Amino acid sequence: MKQEFNVRDDYKTKYGFREDVKTVFDTGRGLGKEVIDKISDRKKEASWLHEFRLKALETFKAKPMPQWGADLNHIGFEDIVYYLDPSEKKESGKWEDVPEKIKNTFEKLGIPEAERKFLAGVGAQFESESVYHKIREDLEKQGVIFVDPDAGLSKYEHIFKKWFGQVVPIEDNKFSALNSACFSGGSFIYIPPGVKVDLPLQAYFRINAESAGQFERTLIIADKNSEITYIEGCFTEGTPITTIEGVKPIEEIEVGTLVLTHKSRYKPVYNIQKRKYSGKLYKLNYYGNAKHTLEVTADHPILISKREKSEAKNKIWETEWSTPSKLSKGDYVVMPIDREIISQENRDFVVAFGSKKRTGGYVRINVKTDKDFFRLIGYYLSEGSVMGKNYLTFTFNKKEKAALEDVKKLLMKYFNKAPLEYGEYKNGISLVLCSTLAAQFFEQQFGKGAKNKNIPTWAMKESPEKQIELIKGMWIGDGSFMNKAYSYGIKRMFRINTVSSQLAEQIWRMLFRQNIFSSIHRSKRGGRRADMYCIYIGGDYLMKFANIIGFSEVIVNKQYHMLAEVGIESSVSYAVIIGDYALTPIRSIEFERVKFKEVYNFSVEEDETYTSNHIAVHNCSATTYSKDSLHSAVVELVALEGAKLRYVTLQNWSDNVYNLVTKRAFAYKNAKVEWIDANIGSKITMKFPSVYMMEEGARADILSVAYAGRGQHQDTGGKTVHLAPNTTSRIISKSISKDGGRTSYRGLVEVAKGCTGVKNSVRCDALLMDEKSRSDTYPTIKIDEEDATISHEAFVGKIGEEQLFYLMSRGLSEQEAMSMIVLGFVSEFTRTLPMEYAVEFNRLIQLNMEGAIG
Amino acid sequence: MELLRIEDLHVEVEGKDILKGIDLVINEGEIHALMGPNGVGKTSLGYVIAGHPKYKITRGKIYFRGKDITSLRPDERAKEGLFLAFQHPVEIQGVSLNHFLYNISKRNNGNGVNVIEFRKSLLEKAKTLGVNSEFLNRQLNVGLSGGEKKRAEIMQLLVTDSKLAILDEVDSGTDIDSLKVLTKAIEEVNNTGTGILLVTHYDRILNYLKPDYIHVLIDGKIEKTGNYELSKELETKGYNWIKENGVAS
Repeated sequence: MKQEFNVRDDYKTKYGFREDVKTVFDTGRGLGKEVIDKISDRKKEASWLHEFRLKALETFKAKPMPQWGADLNHIGFEDIVYYLDPSEKKESGKWEDVPEKIKNTFEKLGIPEAERKFLAGVGAQFESESVYHKIREDLEKQGVIFVDPDAGLSKYEHIFKKWFGQVVPIEDNKFSALNSACFSGGSFIYIPPGVKVDLPLQAYFRINAESAGQFERTLIIADKNSEITYIEGCFTEGTPITTIEGVKPIEEIEVGTLVLTHKSRYKPVYNIQKRKYSGKLYKLNYYGNAKHTLEVTADHPILISKREKSEAKNKIWETEWSTPSKLSKGDYVVMPIDREIISQENRDFVVAFGSKKRTGGYVRINVKTDKDFFRLIGYYLSEGSVMGKNYLTFTFNKKEKAALEDVKKLLMKYFNKAPLEYGEYKNGISLVLCSTLAAQFFEQQFGKGAKNKNIPTWAMKESPEKQIELIKGMWIGDGSFMNKAYSYGIKRMFRINTVSSQLAEQIWRMLFRQNIFSSIHRSKRGGRRADMYCIYIGGDYLMKFANIIGFSEVIVNKQYHMLAEVGIESSVSYAVIIGDYALTPIRSIEFERVKFKEVYNFSVEEDETYTSNHIAVHNCSATTYSKDSLHSAVVELVALEGAKLRYVTLQNWSDNVYNLVTKRAFAYKNAKVEWIDANIGSKITMKFPSVYMMEEGARADILSVAYAGRGQHQDTGGKTVHLAPNTTSRIISKSISKDGGRTSYRGLVEVAKGCTGVKNSVRCDALLMDEKSRSDTYPTIKIDEEDATISHEAFVGKIGEEQLFYLMSRGLSEQEAMSMIVLGFVSEFTRTLPMEYAVEFNRLIQLNMEGAIG
Repeated sequence: MELLRIEDLHVEVEGKDILKGIDLVINEGEIHALMGPNGVGKTSLGYVIAGHPKYKITRGKIYFRGKDITSLRPDERAKEGLFLAFQHPVEIQGVSLNHFLYNISKRNNGNGVNVIEFRKSLLEKAKTLGVNSEFLNRQLNVGLSGGEKKRAEIMQLLVTDSKLAILDEVDSGTDIDSLKVLTKAIEEVNNTGTGILLVTHYDRILNYLKPDYIHVLIDGKIEKTGNYELSKELETKGYNWIKENGVAS
């Protein structure tokens, strides 16, 4: 049976973090007049603006959904919350006044540092409201305005009102109408004549709540001969974080990781993983481990494989991240197997010696941690105990002579001391080693008392060859082979018993490393006896286990597989191990409604995740949202005579965001407008930044870069409209499609009658990374004037075998070679960015590409 | 020390037999020339040794420094110390030669390469090849002339510290001055013990790099192996002479 396993390891890119920020006010789901009333009321807006919003709402409702581009028919407008205010405070321009949790979010994004280092001003928006705008003092003195639209309206109404809604009118399209109806937040920027702002202004946008809409409005007016670069960063997730060890993706951030704070110092991430939760709490039971019920909140993403896809043989196990509400019985949960090996011939251990009074502290010992030693660990875990403080004891059944001799030999080898043998007592023989060092060492490393036995991390990470010996020792001590006849046939399986819950799980996990799927069962024994945990190995894994422990009594019985499936232990027969993952079906799924229940989210740190549930579950602070979000901004730019205005966008929304943005600029005499627009994230983006060249000598430059991975459609491009003679425009589009992603270039070049001397060039380069992916170009050219120079080039390339071979023959791995080709392909774009952004952009592209390799 | 050992190598590409039983041994410090008319499989042999996925080995083994590399990926072979200078190097847009050289050098020499040190030594190497820092800023093979591409290939050889270099038609498209410069650089590499396999159908380059062995490949087989003198004989008598005489030695 050939099996492929495509893990969509999009963890890195898809799941950012999420702060548990309570919004203080929202308008509820859906959009109607009352929502508009509430927004206007909360903002204490002038009646003209309220009228404007209401008119826009009518237009939005009246306009049909555009059908000419990416598929927008699945947007649930009624599920979206159109206005969420995270704070009672208005922005004050002081970082200290930003609410603590929001501040944390932005600090993780490195904003304070960026502001200090290479920005002239910073704005930050959380949900619907802008929480911070700050501009360098010297610029403020020169009359540069950088505030949110609310402040723009109240303080600078004369400038604001003149241009607002003029560049992008309400009626332009359905989404500009939507934005006009419920806009909130964004930036209002005014650069006075002749002022050249040397460093960029940047705004950061973040959507945190689920099903949230973000409808910011940006209006930039560059007065005569001024210069400005504005950068907007839309980072939902997968965001690189600045830490003491350099920039890291968020998922590498652990509690205790030192991140850069606004005070320009490194501080550990505090524990953000506890919250009060009200809603459905799901309880998941899965085959293979009866010990645990996985309890997860409704929005907690779990890595799963859908049942229907996994039924056929020769199957491909497609995995996806899903939430409990979408799961059903029989779907497979996916458990990552930790295959990391840290093997050491010798190890140093520090053994604490009893009370300090007596011995004064600690002794360092060096132990040869070889195969034999691991067997000794196995014996200890099953049959060992420490009596008093000084006696390391092993008790065997009198029949287990071989094991007894083995332990004697091993104790001699490692502690250079022979144990005393105590003769039969209730059929048992005890070996007692009188060594405080040995006794303390075992107790401290492997637990005291049967219920607390466990395997330390270093042993869990040792090579599978050594671990076999541990399992062997454990099995000899506490294991048995069942070979029972039932009415339905013979059932054969191996069993290892322990009363330590932790140890049972560790053995279960350790067996994964041997490619054995076992199952844990818990049996109540009544009275005061502790529950027993039984690890069963049967079905497909019976022979494999027999082989590793050297058990020869199992006769290959063609029927065992079938028979084993009859009983409860059968479970494991359905489970599979493929590569670094174990997959097992869900046995049952239930939920209860809870109110203000304290839920603990799993730390990103590997160990904690495993011990709590085994299943690939995301840290909830790094969650994605079960519902789609909508980002529909309107950006209006006005470049008056001789002004230079550059607008840079780095969009990396999570892939549940519809990103439908209207961006337009008016360029007057000899003014130059540049749109630099990079779209990496989102589910669907439709965005065609445009420049209307209103007067002679105006220039437009549009550079659009798109990356579409699985399930993404980037429908992007640009529009240049020549409304005056001797105007010049250029559009360059670069797109990359991978893993079935789709990119479309959609462009318009229009030259009005009488506009002579117009020059335009369009170039679209598309790179297809595989056969599944798609790229299209939809250029439209409308020319009403003969005297125009127009050129259009389109190029679609595939990453060729020859390119890959050339780079690989120089020692680059396939992944590195691909990434080099792609980054080279977009370098024309990266070169236009300030260095900090170029680095970040390359990193985002690399992260996206890595995640997609199966 | 033995670098390369090829035993009874049979290869097909797109269903066509292209190599039909090649045996070849190259030791440390040796220079071998693989000659033969166009289309006999000279370039293919280079590709097969470097691990091109298109070629299917149907019989035989390739050992490199004692290790069976027959089924290794190209990047793994490169890491073992194998280098192939392409006859037609592939263009990679947007990647500067500079950046690329640093990258592959880091890959082959570990991460201990200091950028400044590297840049310094790179400029020295560039000088020996008669190219300047402007050349290093150009995109990898994009828009380079034939001769420039060869220099870019040899630059790569110089930073990778390879144990065996297969140089496919390194002399084609170069003028006589470039050829002198290139062969001098190759000679220096050879002096450090690196084995060289020159793939060529002209003997021009052999005047500058005297090979220890010359192999004549005809129709997927090495029909004749000789010393430097063989090239002179070939020059006067042509490849047909071997075809007509069969295996004369």
